[in-house]
Amino acid sequence: MSINSSYLLSLTTFIYLGAAAVYLLYWIFRLDRIGVLGTVITAVGFVMQTIGIGLRWIESYKLGYGHAPLSNLYESLVFFSWVTILVYLVIEFKIKNRVIGAFATPFACLAMAYASFSPNVQDSIQPLIPALQSNWLIAHVITCFLGYASFAVACGLGIMYLIRGDKVSGGNYLLDALPSRKVLDELMHQTIIFGFLWLTVGIITGAVWANQAWGTYWSWDPKETWSLITWFVYATALHARFVRGWAGKKIAYLSIIGFISVIFTYFGVNFLLSGLHSYGSS
Amino acid sequence: MKQTANNSLLNVVVRFFSSVKLAIFLFIILAITSIIGTVLPQGESLQFYLENFGPFWFKIIRTLHLYDTYHAWWYLTLLGLFSINLIVCTIKRLPYTLRIFKKDGLELSPDEILRRPFKSHWLVDVKNNPDEIKEEIKRVFTQFVGKVRHRRDSEGGEIYFAEKGKWNYWGVYLIHISILIIFAGALYGSFTGFKGRVMLLEGESTDHAINMDSHGNVKKIPLGFKVRCDKFVVDFYPNGAPKLFKSDLTIIDSGKEVLKKSILVNDPLTYKGITFYQSSYQSVPDLKIKIVSSDGQQKLLNLSAFNDRGVWKEKKLLIGMIKYLPNVHGAPAARIFIGDISGNNGHALWLLMGHEREYTMGDTTYRLSLLDAKERFMTGLQVKKDPGVLIVWLGCTIMVIGFAIVFWVGHNRFWLRILTRKDNKIDIILAGQTNKNKASFEKEFEKLKSEIEKRIGEVK
Repeated sequence: MSINSSYLLSLTTFIYLGAAAVYLLYWIFRLDRIGVLGTVITAVGFVMQTIGIGLRWIESYKLGYGHAPLSNLYESLVFFSWVTILVYLVIEFKIKNRVIGAFATPFACLAMAYASFSPNVQDSIQPLIPALQSNWLIAHVITCFLGYASFAVACGLGIMYLIRGDKVSGGNYLLDALPSRKVLDELMHQTIIFGFLWLTVGIITGAVWANQAWGTYWSWDPKETWSLITWFVYATALHARFVRGWAGKKIAYLSIIGFISVIFTYFGVNFLLSGLHSYGSS
Repeated sequence: MKQTANNSLLNVVVRFFSSVKLAIFLFIILAITSIIGTVLPQGESLQFYLENFGPFWFKIIRTLHLYDTYHAWWYLTLLGLFSINLIVCTIKRLPYTLRIFKKDGLELSPDEILRRPFKSHWLVDVKNNPDEIKEEIKRVFTQFVGKVRHRRDSEGGEIYFAEKGKWNYWGVYLIHISILIIFAGALYGSFTGFKGRVMLLEGESTDHAINMDSHGNVKKIPLGFKVRCDKFVVDFYPNGAPKLFKSDLTIIDSGKEVLKKSILVNDPLTYKGITFYQSSYQSVPDLKIKIVSSDGQQKLLNLSAFNDRGVWKEKKLLIGMIKYLPNVHGAPAARIFIGDISGNNGHALWLLMGHEREYTMGDTTYRLSLLDAKERFMTGLQVKKDPGVLIVWLGCTIMVIGFAIVFWVGHNRFWLRILTRKDNKIDIILAGQTNKNKASFEKEFEKLKSEIEKRIGEVK
């Protein structure tokens, strides 16, 4: 059997699972060697996934369809997981704290597992229907998923913030390994602004595209509306900082609620509500 | 007395509308209420809601306009409050921001410099040549922070100051104003534009679009010119998924063909501000039916789905098309309605090409045959005029620029103050302040601090 993209990509699922486990071990045993191993495994998975995505792109040309692998649920899940790892690796590089990996890589692993093994998700390469034949497809999907992935990481940071507790150094072995609340709060804020920026650009590129395809930049389609709801949740998180007593914990909760809203925008709308985005559900 | 009462009322109103808490309240309320329209089907007839949700919920749905949530009075009111909130916030904060923007960091006194969030204070005992160490520290500072301004303070000390990204304060304003611009564009478009549909058979043209509102009222919107569909093409992938919808359109203005374009789903045609989008298609059968009466007379009737009544006046006979199948055992077939002209005594029967059918009405018998059957395509076009859309795009552009500034630009400031005291000790203050990404600024500051410390250590 020759190596195809689906094979490589489903292999990535297990590599990210391994990375999440190693990061967890690092959190428990705090041996630098384990931490470095976690990073190496994640990086290997990332490279393999990148090759898998590239290969899928080439395969679509061989099938005569020729489009970027960003056109259906399977491909979007793969891309979501890819960006999540990318955002995480950048943060790890900047902050030099690998415990965050135990909270970020599971998102990428879950997305890949869902893409590869759920019966609801078809991994075959499909041709583009007329509505999707647009250059805006790439811009729209990339920007939206940069936003989604940042929000996934922000959610991980929010969870860390909540388990970190108030104590500066409580003598708790596990908690002390987490970055301080100050660092987490700042990181969470920056990640949310970054995600918010891309979500906004994603909504705008979607509007430009919709205007070109249907003549309406905003039609209150459930997907559009849910992206706006998500936008409101993160707008709340960004403004909460300026209200006395709202910083920190409330923002951590909002980053989790926001990500639930992202998940609903992403999956819930496709499976539970009908609308213009129906091609994203198979 | 009355004056102050008015003032305080105004103050209360301004304070209410400019508060971040109102903004947050509106975000949350808008987020929650927006869910309604994604769960409850929108734009159906009132009858639909009554049948599906019962009289109790129907009352609520009708009163709160929930069948069209996003245009309901209360939803628009929330958006209006949101706009007022933005405007009042912007106006109220403007002088404050201007003050920060205009404030020159170089004018800070040594005491004020010491009150910055990041700072270090050294007192260095220098045995010989204090000027050399002063120059060295100044050099390290300048090298690190870039362009430096400097002044001599009242105590005779030297203050050096550098800053970056001061215009970062305007990023938030750009975002807030961009939302208002987008709202303005949407409003302007809704008052000056229109939306409609055009259905055109190949070869057919029209000079108006049709708009149907949610109550089923049909409105004709004149285009001011004619649009003709020359040809429609639909193509499929081997797996059956649609590959291409294409309409060749011609614009005819004052009797002249002025523009020809093939439009695709993502590639519309615009003429005089009106844009035509490929949105749907239908295939329409075209039938030619021969009727021979038992008295020897005969008649040819053309039927198409949209001109679906053929009449043979002399015989008071009426024929209509009910259904068309392009291929029944290798030949086209049509189910037709036949009866007298009043619509009574109707009868439905199948006509298969190549087979005659008989029908008797009164004492006359008719023999019917399907002479010809063709399918023609009819293209469905979405027609839209929206002069506000450019304003919306302007708002979107400003919003993205605003976000980029907010995310990537921080106002970073560094101070260095050096004073040679009377006892010949050198008093050094290093301070820094940022309004963005404190963690990474702290790192930068610590790096500068340790470099200066290194120089001080060398002297000691």
